[in-house]
Formats: sequence, C-alpha cells, structure tokens
Amino acid sequence: MLPAFMPPDPMMNFLARCLRPLACLAVIAGALAAPAEPARQILVRAALSDDAAQQRELITSLTGRADAALVALLEAWRTDALFRYAPAEGTALVVQLTGPKDDEGRQAAVRIDTGAALVDAAGQPLKLAAGDLKAVEHTTSLRRAMKAVADLADLADPDPARRFKAVQTIGQAQDAAKLAPLQARLEVETDAGVRRVLREAIALVQLKDPQDATRIAALGTLKELHTLASTDFIKRALKEAEEARNQPVLTAAREALRAVENHRSFVDFFGTLFRGVSLGSILLVAALGLAITFGLMRVINMAHGEMIAVGAYTTYLVQNVFGTGITLPFFGLSLGLPGLDLTGGAYQTYFLFALPCSFLAAALVGIGLERSVIRFLYRRPLESLLATWGVSLVLQQAFRLMFGANNVQVSSPVYLSGNWTVNDIIFGWNRVFVVGFAILIVFGMWLVLTKTPLGLLIRASMQNRTMASCMGVRTERVNMLTFGLGSGLAGLAGAFLSQIGNVGPSLGQGYIIDSFMVVVVGGVGSIGGTILSAFGIGGIDQVLQQYLPVVAPGLGWVPGIGGFLQNLAQDAAVFGKILVLAGIILFLQWRPAGLFVTRSRSLED
Amino acid sequence: MIKHISSLLGAGALALGASLGSARAADTVKVGVLHSLSGTMAISETSLRDILLFTFDEINAKGGVLGKKIEPVVVDGASNWPLFAEKAKQLLEQDKVAVTFGCWTSVSRKSVLPVYEKNNGLLFYPVQYEGEEESQNVAYTAEAVNQQATPAVDYYLAEGKKKFYLLGSDYVYPQTTNLVLLEYLLSKGVKLENIGGGFRRDGAGKIISAGKYTPFGHTDYQQIVAEIKQFAASGDACVISTLNGDTNVPFFKEYAASGLTAETCPVVSFSISEDEFRGLPAKQLVGQLGCWTYFQSIDTPANKKFVADFQAWLKKTTVPGIVKEGRVTCSPMVLSYVGVYLWKAAVEKAGSFDVDKVRAAWKSGLSFNGPGGKVTTQPNMHLTKNVFIGETKADGQFKIVKTFNNVYGEPWLKGKFK
Repeated sequence: MLPAFMPPDPMMNFLARCLRPLACLAVIAGALAAPAEPARQILVRAALSDDAAQQRELITSLTGRADAALVALLEAWRTDALFRYAPAEGTALVVQLTGPKDDEGRQAAVRIDTGAALVDAAGQPLKLAAGDLKAVEHTTSLRRAMKAVADLADLADPDPARRFKAVQTIGQAQDAAKLAPLQARLEVETDAGVRRVLREAIALVQLKDPQDATRIAALGTLKELHTLASTDFIKRALKEAEEARNQPVLTAAREALRAVENHRSFVDFFGTLFRGVSLGSILLVAALGLAITFGLMRVINMAHGEMIAVGAYTTYLVQNVFGTGITLPFFGLSLGLPGLDLTGGAYQTYFLFALPCSFLAAALVGIGLERSVIRFLYRRPLESLLATWGVSLVLQQAFRLMFGANNVQVSSPVYLSGNWTVNDIIFGWNRVFVVGFAILIVFGMWLVLTKTPLGLLIRASMQNRTMASCMGVRTERVNMLTFGLGSGLAGLAGAFLSQIGNVGPSLGQGYIIDSFMVVVVGGVGSIGGTILSAFGIGGIDQVLQQYLPVVAPGLGWVPGIGGFLQNLAQDAAVFGKILVLAGIILFLQWRPAGLFVTRSRSLED
Repeated sequence: MIKHISSLLGAGALALGASLGSARAADTVKVGVLHSLSGTMAISETSLRDILLFTFDEINAKGGVLGKKIEPVVVDGASNWPLFAEKAKQLLEQDKVAVTFGCWTSVSRKSVLPVYEKNNGLLFYPVQYEGEEESQNVAYTAEAVNQQATPAVDYYLAEGKKKFYLLGSDYVYPQTTNLVLLEYLLSKGVKLENIGGGFRRDGAGKIISAGKYTPFGHTDYQQIVAEIKQFAASGDACVISTLNGDTNVPFFKEYAASGLTAETCPVVSFSISEDEFRGLPAKQLVGQLGCWTYFQSIDTPANKKFVADFQAWLKKTTVPGIVKEGRVTCSPMVLSYVGVYLWKAAVEKAGSFDVDKVRAAWKSGLSFNGPGGKVTTQPNMHLTKNVFIGETKADGQFKIVKTFNNVYGEPWLKGKFK
C-alpha cells in the first residue's frame, strides 16, 4: 500500500476549521482526564510510535478504559487535529491547539500527556500555528481500532441514537471480548430500541461461541427478534453448521432464517405498497392540473410540463430569496432579487412559502397563455396541440436564458429529508408529505368544483359551453380561471417535484407523457378516474419492480423467450415501466375511453 | 450551424487571422476541437472546449509548437453520434488538422474511430472510459478502468468493506466497467452473493452483465434504494455507482431520505467530478467518494497556478458562449490540458507534425508535470498517472483521502483477474 498523500495546504485549512469546535472539547478533555492519566500516556505513546502494529496494539489496549475525554482525543486524532511537536531539545510531544488564533495563525497549545498548557524553557506559554506542525498520521486499520475503542465508550453515551449505533457496530464485529460490556449495558439500559439492538448484538457475538447450546439459544433470540441486520450472520452460521453436520444448530439456524425471511417479505410487501402509493401520488399531483386543462376543458395542453417547471423554478427563486438573493439575466437586463439572509429554522420555512408562490406563478403564466393563445383555439384541438407545443419550446428556452442550461440546486428543508422507520419499513418524510399533499389538493379541488359558485360555473361551462353562455355565464372568464386553476395545480406539482428530482429546463418533458397517460387511462373528464388511474399505475409499477426479480428466475420454461425472461431481474426498473405501458395499450384497446367514461348531451362532442 | 460559425469566429483573432490571409498560414498549425457544443452532452463538453482554447492560448503566448501558432478549428458534434463522424471527416479531409482533441461519450469515440483509422489521423480522448480498445490513432489520456474503478475497490477493501452493490446507467461504459469489477472483486475473494444489483447470464450460465441498471433520466429510485438498504443492513457494505448525469439527483435524494449515509454505506461515483457539482446538490453527497486522476483541491503549486491561470483567462476571454461565473476544473478538463502538452512534447521530439512520427515519439515515453502530478505516455497509447480518492465536501470540492502514485493505464482488463 502506498503512503497516504497529504497535501499540506488544504489539509491545514481543514484543520483550522476542525479545531474551532475541538478547542472547547480539548478544554473539557483537560478537565476530565486527570484521573485517567495512564490511558492518556498510552495514547501519546501510540501517537509517537512509528510501528503501525504497535500503534494498533496500544490503541486496542485502551478498550474499556476510554472515557468521554479520551474519545474526544481519539476523534481529534482521526480528524487530523492532534499534532506532533518536536522542541529544539528534549523528546517529541503530542499537542492539541486551542483558543483564538493570533495574527500569524498561532494558537495556544495543550500537551496531551499532562493536559497542561505547553510552555517554553522560560515557563512562558508557547503558541504554535497549525500550518507549521505535522498532524499525527493514522491509517485505516488504526482508525478502525480507534473506532472500536470509541464505540465501547459510546455504550454509556447519554444519547440513545449514539448508543444504538455503537451497539450495532460492536455486535456486527462479533468480538467475544465485547460480550461482557454488552451484557452489563443490557442490565441498565432503559430505551426499548437500544435494548432490542443490544439483545441482537449479544446474540450475534454468541453465534461465534464454541458451545452448541449457546449458539442455539442465540439463534433462538435472533429468531424472536428477526431483524434484517442479522440475515448475513444467520446465513453464515447456517453454512458453518451445514459443513460441520451439526443438526441441532442447523435446525435452529433454519428456523431463525425463516423468521427473518418472513419478516423480509412483510417489509417488502408493505414497503412496496407505500412506494406504490407514493409514486401514485407523484403521478396524481403531476396529472391533476392536466385533468382540468385537458380533461375538463379539452385543450391538448403540451405546455403542461412547462407549467410544472414554472412551479419548480419558483421554488428555486423563493429558496434564494430566503437565502442570499439571486441575480437573473432577464432578456438583456439583469434582474436582481435581494435576499433575506435567513438561516436555520426561518430559512427552512422557505418551502411553505414556495407552495403558494408556485401556484400563483404558474396560474399567472397559465392565464397569460390562455388569453394570448388558447382562447382562439377552443374548437380546434389539433391547432391547440401545435400551438401549446410551440409555447412549451418557447418556455424551455426562456428557462435556459434565465437560469442557464444546467440544472439548478433546490435543497430539501430538514423536515422533508429524514425518514420514519417502523418495523424496518422506511417512510421517507418527503414521500409521506407528497401523499398527504396529494390527498389535500384532491380534497381542495373537490371543494372548489362542487361547493363554490366558481365550481358550479366551471362545471356548467365545461358540460355545455353554449348553453352556459346563454344562461348568462361569462364563459370567457370562466375559461380563463379554469385554465389558471389547472396551471396553478401544475405549479404546485413542480414545487413538490423539486424536492424529489432535478430542476432544469427540460423538467417538464419528463412528466408530460406520464401526465397524459394518467388522464387518458382514467377517462378524459373524470377527476375520480384520474385519481384511480394514478394510484393504479403507480402501484402496478412498484409491484412489478419489486416482484419481477422474484418471479423472473422461474420463467425459464417459457418457449423462446424463457432466457430473456429469466434475466429481467437486473433491469426490473425498466421492464416494470415497459410492462405498464404495454398494459395500458391493451387496456385502451379494450376501453378506449378510459376507466370512467363521461357521457354528456353536449353537441360539442 | 450558426453555433458552429460563431464558435469558429469565437476561436478569436487566431482563427480570424488565419482565414484572412494565406500568407500567414505557414506560421500556424491547424488543430481540431471536436466536442458537443449543443444537445444533451453540451453541459459537460463545452467545459472541455473552453479548457482547450485556454491551453492553445497559453502555448501560443509562449511561442507555439515548433515555432508555429496553434490555430483551433472548433466543430460541434451536437450530441449526435453520426454527426461526430462527419465532423471528424471534415476536420481530417478538408481542414487537414494535425491532431484532434475531442469526444466525451464512448459512442462518439466509437463513431469517429473508423474515420481516424482510415485517414491515419490522431485523436486525443480525455474522458474516463471502459477500456477494451487500443487504436493506434487514438491517444487515450483518459482514465482506464484500472485508473479509477479498481483503485476505488482497493480503497474499499482496505476500509474493511465486504459487500459491494453495483449500480449504473444503462450503456456501454457502466456495463463493461461492472463486468471488469465483478472479475476483480471475485479475484479479491469477495463472494458472489456479496455482490449486489443482480446478474444476467447467457444460456450456458456464464455471467454476461453485472449490477443494477437504470435508463438515462430515470427518476424513481425508491425500490433500488430500499434494496440497497436491505443489502447494507448487516454492515460492511458499499455502493459503486456509474450513474450518469442528472439521475444522480433523485438517487442521492432518495438515498439520504432512507437514512443511508456515507458512514453506514458509502457510495463511490465514477461520473461525478467538480464540474458536475455545478448542477448537483453537493450537500446531499457530503462524505460520498469520488475517484479521479485529478481533483481541483490538489495542493501543489502547479495546480494552484493552473487553476488561477484558467480563471484569469476566463475573465478576459472574448469567445462568445463561455460561462465565466462559478467555473471549476475537473479531471476530464485536466486530461485535455495535459493531452495538448503531451502532443506538443511529442511533436517537438519528432521534429514534425507527421502523425506516424508523433505516435512514435509518444510511444517512446514522454513525461509532463501537469496539475495532477506527473503523467507519462505508454507504448499502448495510454497514460501512467496518479489516482486520487476524495470525499465530497459541501462546497462541491473533494478532500483527498488516498493517493495511488503512477498507475499504469491498462485497457485490456476483461479476463485478466482470475
């Protein structure tokens, strides 16, 4: 292995950045470490040693003796914040730098062996610059040894999440020496999650036990816990038992593996269900606007995708306004948007403001499009197709001119970037949010269409424009508002999609086909059909992606294409989609008008 | 066409001067630049055009090559592979360029290859590729698989990783690379069941494709990430990603949302360099790995000067269509840059622009101290160079965590690891 390349300058910059938080750690370390003096000596001896094997030995000997202070020192070592200082006379020392930097970048130094400040011959405190010193080196195996020591110390950490992680790592290392500390921790542990992972870790370590009875008991525990993390270890135990022809252990291992596999199929099933619902929600959100402009108004709106992009770019703008501001080239002029310079929680709320803004922005663009182009083409669907396609090209180029050809970065607010894991099924917050959001806008749309005067007028005009106009409805205005509503919904979809995928000039192109597909399958003009078809398509797609790899290997018997079918597993994502599209083609042969056929007496149709 | 003309004009006073008077033609040497300046690949390839023009200016300012100034002939491949071949033909037969710097995608290289072989031209190819090719008419300054993918695996193995999940975009580079990686992993004692993503076998049961593939523009990574999460549940797992372009955004967003981190299951991406971070949210990739033969963060005086010179050139250049803000340097750019200098060195050693003589000079082993350290030409038309592994930082730069010095470029890897 070649020695690690350590470029001096960025490394030092990095160090300087690391040192700031570490400075206070070092102070704490100094205060706490007094009784654990020998452990520090060992660490210093390891840091000054040139022999990698000896270093590792010394660090490993710290196992069980590490306290918070020592863990902080190990962490400092791992992040290049421990330095070797060789005074003009005398032996080399290991130091850490603390406190503010002076003009020459120098800081006060603390000796690691004594925890006292570094002084020169005259007893004056000595100041050192990180750039002049050499960080104590570390190799991968040494870092791993350090982590093992730190993990054990983390067993008593007040934070359950850290304890959880530490227990998991210790268990997966299957080191018999760690059994006692794990069991001791289980005695006093109160957090249910950590208790569970502790039991798993103990069982994993016990899998290496020479006693059959212990191994069988451990497999029994693993069977009871049936965690996905234990799969590989049970499989390994099973293989060993098979080779040793150890029947009782083999039976126990098989049972444990069956329990885990059952749990896995449970997780897969509900995971797939949730993923299907979430994909369905995305399709629904993207298609809902089109369900109005195309479904109700019968305008083949090829610019629907660009309305989505308008929403996404609006989110990007709002994000920048909440941050440091942005300057856009605007047809030769420069349009500067000042930033609010918000940080932390206030900045994170940008997304909540972005939602109404993207609705309004897309609705305005939609109304502009309706007034300038579409209103002349209500009775000429083919021309409207061509015209809106042209508009879509114009809009894409406008995005390029304003925002550049590259994708722009929209960061996810913290409340949308975590997850919620129940029983090993992952519910990403962004996905949960999109499902809730889809339900909300469907409900909102239902309210608008059925419970408001505007909704009544919309329905009247859409069912029979001429009759509605004879009854005194200002159909021109209703058309405009309806198109605005549909475009606004597309804008909302854009705000949402910015949290999941790319925001770029061709964002809309990716969704236009899906949107038309959903609306057509659902039945043009039927909102209920759109909802059903979105969830249907999303669900089937995810089910195929999940279960094609399971079914495929058994399809070798199909004459002619058996070999092809067997290999579907690898490209499940693609073949899932192809099968969905083929299914839709067949479905439309059978029911050309989609799931729900809207019948009307209107002469227009 | 307009773009073509404008970029020709844009090549500046040199091109203009040359087209005005044939009297000065003897003082210049024509050099082709064949990249996509429009279409889907334009985002990546225009950066290479920019760096090439910068390099030509730099060389010309110091007296050119063999006393002749470089006269760039910039043509647009327009992300259209058959068009690449036509443009190559035009460069070789009409413009009679001495050398061409160009191509990004493997398919564009494969498309122009017969043209260069028929006309005995010389193409410098600067982008990481899948190997399994060694034309006498191509100088591969690019990373071969053993200068990017296998060092990354070595790094992972040293870190104690035992399970490897292969994921890529569905085209020739990821497919070939993953097959080589599969052989490499097996040769290192990694068991087949610890390699994730799935396999495709032919009738005889031989594996002909390894890893999970998604098409360009794929957006729904829920299922794949759920699979990786299960794959990584028992620890010691990592992901090797050859996902290309903007599909990385939905993948990494999903990856972060599922609770997977660089600590629990790191991802090394072979297609994300500093330049790609202009359109990717780096924050979501912090701690994930990259592996290239150059990083902008390399801390040497040569690299610092290179970066500063490029930025200064960007400020004063008058070539239309060059983005001046937020520019970075990355491996394909630097490999284009060292390519020009190696060509210059070969020409000067040969004392002639003749392709056969230049090739012979290349094969004799020339060295150049570039921004990424020393590179040396090899008889197999590839380059020996340093390989770096870096961790992504929030600002879209890489912190170098491991260096492999002087790695010999080896294009023929299939069947090599047993």
